[in-house]
Amino acid sequence: MNNMAFFPVSLTLLLISYFSFFFSFFLCLLSCFRCKFFSLTETPENYTVVLDEEGFKELRPSEHLQVESAIWLPLNVVSNGSASSSSQAVGVTKIAKSVIAPLAQQHVSVFMLSTYQTDFILVKEKDLSVVVSTLEEEFNIYKEEGGESVPVHCQDVSNGLHKNGREAIQPTVHPVLIPKNQFCVMSLDPDTLPSIATTLIDVLFYSSSPKEDPQPSPSQDCVKFFSFSLIDGYISLVMDTEAQRQFPADLLFTSSSGELWRMVRIGGQPLGFDECGIVAQISQPLADSDISAYYISTFSFDHALVPEEDIVSVTDMLQHQRNEPATS
Amino acid sequence: MSGSKPDILWSPHHPDRYVICDSELGLYRIGPVGSAEAKAGTLPLSEETAATLLAINSDTPYMKCVAWYPKHEPECLLAVGQANGRVVLTSLGQSHNSACKELVGKEFVPKHARQCNTLAWNPVDSNLLAAGLDKHRADFSVLIWDISSKLSPETSVAAEKIRLSSVDLDSSTVVTKPLYELGQNDACLSLCWLLRDPKLLLAGMHRNLAIFDLRNTSQKTFVNTKAIQGVTVDPHFHDRVASFFEGQVAIWDLRKFEKPVLTLTEQPKPLTKVGWCGKLTKGHSNNDALIYYFVFWPCKCSFKMINVVVSLLCACIMLHGLHTVTIPMQVSHMKQCAEDMELKLQGNVQSVVYSGIKNIVKTTSGTTETRRCWSGSDRQTDVPRYHSEERCLALRLCGWISRGTDTDVENFLRSLEQEHEWERAAAVALFNLDIRRAIQILNKGAMAEKGDLNLNVVAMALSGYTDEKSSLWREMCSSLRLQLKNPYLCIMFAFLTSEPGAYDGVLYESSVAVRDRVAFACMFLNDAQLPRYIDRLTLEMKEAGNLEGILLTGLTKDGVDLMESYVDRTGDVQTASFCMLKVPRQITQKSALHAAVGFTFMFTGSYQPTFVFVLWQVFVSCNFCGKSISYSCSTIPHQGRGFSQYGVSGSPTKSKVTSCPGCRKPLPRCALCLMNMGTPVSNCQGTGKSDEKVDLTRENKLAQFNNWFTWCHNCRHGGHAGHMLSWFRDHTECPVSACTCKCMQLDTTGNLVPSDSS
Repeated sequence: MNNMAFFPVSLTLLLISYFSFFFSFFLCLLSCFRCKFFSLTETPENYTVVLDEEGFKELRPSEHLQVESAIWLPLNVVSNGSASSSSQAVGVTKIAKSVIAPLAQQHVSVFMLSTYQTDFILVKEKDLSVVVSTLEEEFNIYKEEGGESVPVHCQDVSNGLHKNGREAIQPTVHPVLIPKNQFCVMSLDPDTLPSIATTLIDVLFYSSSPKEDPQPSPSQDCVKFFSFSLIDGYISLVMDTEAQRQFPADLLFTSSSGELWRMVRIGGQPLGFDECGIVAQISQPLADSDISAYYISTFSFDHALVPEEDIVSVTDMLQHQRNEPATS
Repeated sequence: MSGSKPDILWSPHHPDRYVICDSELGLYRIGPVGSAEAKAGTLPLSEETAATLLAINSDTPYMKCVAWYPKHEPECLLAVGQANGRVVLTSLGQSHNSACKELVGKEFVPKHARQCNTLAWNPVDSNLLAAGLDKHRADFSVLIWDISSKLSPETSVAAEKIRLSSVDLDSSTVVTKPLYELGQNDACLSLCWLLRDPKLLLAGMHRNLAIFDLRNTSQKTFVNTKAIQGVTVDPHFHDRVASFFEGQVAIWDLRKFEKPVLTLTEQPKPLTKVGWCGKLTKGHSNNDALIYYFVFWPCKCSFKMINVVVSLLCACIMLHGLHTVTIPMQVSHMKQCAEDMELKLQGNVQSVVYSGIKNIVKTTSGTTETRRCWSGSDRQTDVPRYHSEERCLALRLCGWISRGTDTDVENFLRSLEQEHEWERAAAVALFNLDIRRAIQILNKGAMAEKGDLNLNVVAMALSGYTDEKSSLWREMCSSLRLQLKNPYLCIMFAFLTSEPGAYDGVLYESSVAVRDRVAFACMFLNDAQLPRYIDRLTLEMKEAGNLEGILLTGLTKDGVDLMESYVDRTGDVQTASFCMLKVPRQITQKSALHAAVGFTFMFTGSYQPTFVFVLWQVFVSCNFCGKSISYSCSTIPHQGRGFSQYGVSGSPTKSKVTSCPGCRKPLPRCALCLMNMGTPVSNCQGTGKSDEKVDLTRENKLAQFNNWFTWCHNCRHGGHAGHMLSWFRDHTECPVSACTCKCMQLDTTGNLVPSDSS
C-alpha cells in the first residue's frame, strides 16, 4: 500500500492576462521564497499561476487577474518503497489506474501539475471527503501538518455530502493539438536561480508576448509553452528546445540521456474546472501502452508531454479514440 | 534542500588532520601553537593549538557533500557530491599511490541530474560508495557506485541517446551505471552504512528512515519520522543510531525500530550535524554513550563551533562504563556497612547511609587512644592508635576489616595474598603493628611464582627495624626509601621512620589507593588531624575528578560534585549515572534527580543555560504521539512524584488529565466504565459511609490505587486498576468483548490472594 500525502498548503489558481502587472510580483517571489508552492505556466493565451495563501497575500487585486473561486489541495503520491515497480513508465502513467481513474469515476475534477521531482494532483477542498473515501482503499492518506504526517481517515473528513451529487455525464472527448516543438523537462539548483533570473524573465515575458497572437490557429506548428514551478524549495522547468538554448547549459539539470518530449494539448475551447475525466481519458490509454507522461493543467487547457519516440503511437491512439465515439 | 552547508571532516586515520569543505576543500593539520612551522597561514584554534593549511583543492565546483575514503590507502581520497548529482573522486595533497591516481577524477553520473545530498563509503567493502540524491519523478534517489568498476564501455554509451550532454561524456572517466539503485520516487537526505552488517544501508528519506538490504533490494525496513537528517551509527554499539530534525535529536535502536528510544528536544538553533563520541580518553573505548552535535557558521576564514555534549540516559545504562562494575559495588558495600552501624547509632539523628567517610568522621566521638605493643614482641611502641565506633566503620568501608565486631585484618591480608598484592598486604600488616607478619608476607611474595626476589631484601631491611631515633638504620631508610619503586614499600619505611602523628610521607603518597590512605589516617591521626586530612583529600579528589573519592564523599552533594568533575574529565556518563541512580531521594533530592536523569545536563548547563531537561526512564506514552502523558507535568520540577503526576491521585479536586498533554488526543478509555483514563473512579464499590472511621488510611490508599492505569501486556486492554481488579475477581477473560485473552492468568501475581482479604 502506497502513501499519499496532502501537501500542507491550500492553493489558488490565477489567470493573468496582462503580464507586466505580474512581472513585479514574480521578481518579488524570486527574491523571497515565502511562498511554498508556486507554479507559473505560460501558454500562448495567458499565464496560469498556482500559488498558496502566503503568496496570494502578496498579490494586489487587479482587473487583469482572474481568480478561480475554489480552494485546491495538492495531493502527492509518496512511495513507501515497499513495492518498487519494474515498469519504467513514470509520472501520470504510474498513477493513472490507482488515482486518476477512480477519481474520475467519482466525478472529482482534478488539476494535474507534474514537476521534475513528482506529480501533484490538485483537488478541490470541497471534494476532499470524496477523494479520501475513494482513495482510502489503495492508499494510506496523510495530511502534512507542520512537518508531521497525520493520517487522514474517511470519518474525519465526512462532513457534508459523501458522494459527489453530480450527474454522471459521459465525458466529452476533447480535440487535441500536437505542436511540432520539442520540450525539455529540467530542474535547477535553487542556489543558482539568481544567476539565471534575467534569462528566465526574458524568456517568460519578453521573447514573444502572448498578446501578439491571442488566438493561435490550430495549424500553427509551434506552440509557446513554458512552465516554471518552485515547490517546497524544488525548482522544475518545462520549456521547448528553442528557449532552452538561451540558458547556460551547465546549470540546468536534466537526464544524462537528454530525453526530449512532445506535447499534446487537450481541449479546443477552455476546459473550465468542473469537468472531470479529462486527465483520465488521456492517461488511461497511455498507461495501457506503458508510455510515460508528464501532465500540466492550466487555466484554459491541459497539456500532456510524452517522450518524443512515442509520439507516433500516441498520435495514432488519440486519433483512434477521437474517431471511436463518432462511429459508435 | 538548498545552500551548501559548510562541513568539517576528521581524517579517519590521523587524529590531527581535518578537512573543511565550503566552496573549496582545505586540508588542515593541528599542531601546538608557535611550533617551528608556525607561519602566517596558521589558524589559531585555542591557546595551545593551531591549524596549519596543508593543501587546498578547488577543482570541484557546486560541491554539496564530501566523504573521506575510509581505508588507509589511498589516504587522501575524497568523494565529492555536486549540485547536479555527479559524484567526483578527488584528492588532497600529493599522493604517489598509483591506485589513487587512477581513481582521482573519476565521475559517477546519475541518469537524471539533481542535487547530491549525502555520500557514504562502505566501511568494509570500501569500493562501494553510496550517494543520496534529491527526488526525481522517475529515478532512484539512492545510488550505490562501485568505484573500481571499469569505465562504462563506449558501446553502451553510444546506445544511450546522447543529445544534450554529449559534451560531458567525451572524457573517458565517466561511470553512468550504478551497482544498485534504491528508493524510487523519493528523496534521500542522509545515509550511513550499518556496522552490524556491511550490506545494510540506513537512509534518511523524505519522511522516513529506511534500511535497505543489498542482498535483497526489494526488501526494506522503514519507519515514518521527521528526524531524517544526519543518520549516524554509534561506532561502539552497532544497533544504536542517531538522526535529527531541526533542533531535535532522535536516538534509535535498530532492534526496536518503530520508535526512537530517546528524543532530545528543542535546541535553540537548528542543528547541522550530529555525531557519536568515538573516544574521549585514551584506552577506554567503551565510554561512548555521548552524542555531540554542533551548530556552526562560517566566520570570515575560520569556523566557530558550539559544542554541546549531551548524555544518553536510557542507552547509557545498557553499557558498562569505566567503573560501572566496581563503583556501584563499593556504593552498595557502603550502604551495607552503614546500615549495620545505624542499628548501633540509634540515637544519632543524621543518617549515615551513603554519607561517606567525610561525614562519618566529623561525628566522631569517644575516641580512645591506645599504645599497643608490636605483636610478637613486648616492646612498647610510642605510636598512638585511635579507636572509635566511627573510625571502625570507616575502616570497614575501606575494606580493611570485615563486617561484625571483628577488628582483625587477617582476613583482608589473606585475600590480598591471594591476589598477589604482596606489598600492599605487607604494608597493611605493618600498619597493624605486626612486623613479623609483614616480613612473612614479603618472603611469601618473593618465593611465589614470578615473585620479586627484591622483596626478600626489603624483608631483611624491615627486620632491622629499631625505634632508636638516631640509628643508622633510620637514617638510611628514610633517605633510601624514596628510591623504592613500589609505593607501598615506600610508605612502609615512611611509617617506620616518621615521628608519631607526622605521617605526611604516607598520607600524601598519591599512588597509594585512597582507601588505604584513609584507613591509615583513621588509625593514626587524632581527632583534630583526621577531619582536616579527610577534608583536604576530599577537595583534592573532587578537583581531580577521581572516583576513588566517592568513598570520602559518599553520595552527597560533594559526591555529585565529584561525579561532575569526573564526567567533565572523562565523559564517562554511564558510571556517573549508574551511581547516581542509587542515590536515596531524601538526601540530595535535587542533585540526585538531575544526576539520575542524565548527568551531564548539569554541566552542559554552562554552555546552554536555558536547557532544562527532565526525563523519566519509564513512562506511560500516548498512543498517538508517543510522548509521555506526564510530559507537561514533568516540566514543573520537584513536585511529588509517582502517579500523582498522571492526575489520577484520587483527590478529585486536582486537575484531571483525560487527554494527552502532548497532542491533546484523548487517553484510552477504561474497558469497564468507558470513561477516558484520568477520570477518577466513581465509587463503584458501594462502601457504606457508616464505616468511615474504619481503617481510613487503608481505604485512602486503596482509593488512590483504584485510579491507576493498568493494562494487560498481552492484549493491551485495560482500564482503572480498581475496575480491573473487581472484574477479574469473577472473570478470567479480558473485559473487552471479543477479546479472549486470559489476562489475569498470565499475571503470575494475579493468582495470589491478598492475605488480609476475607
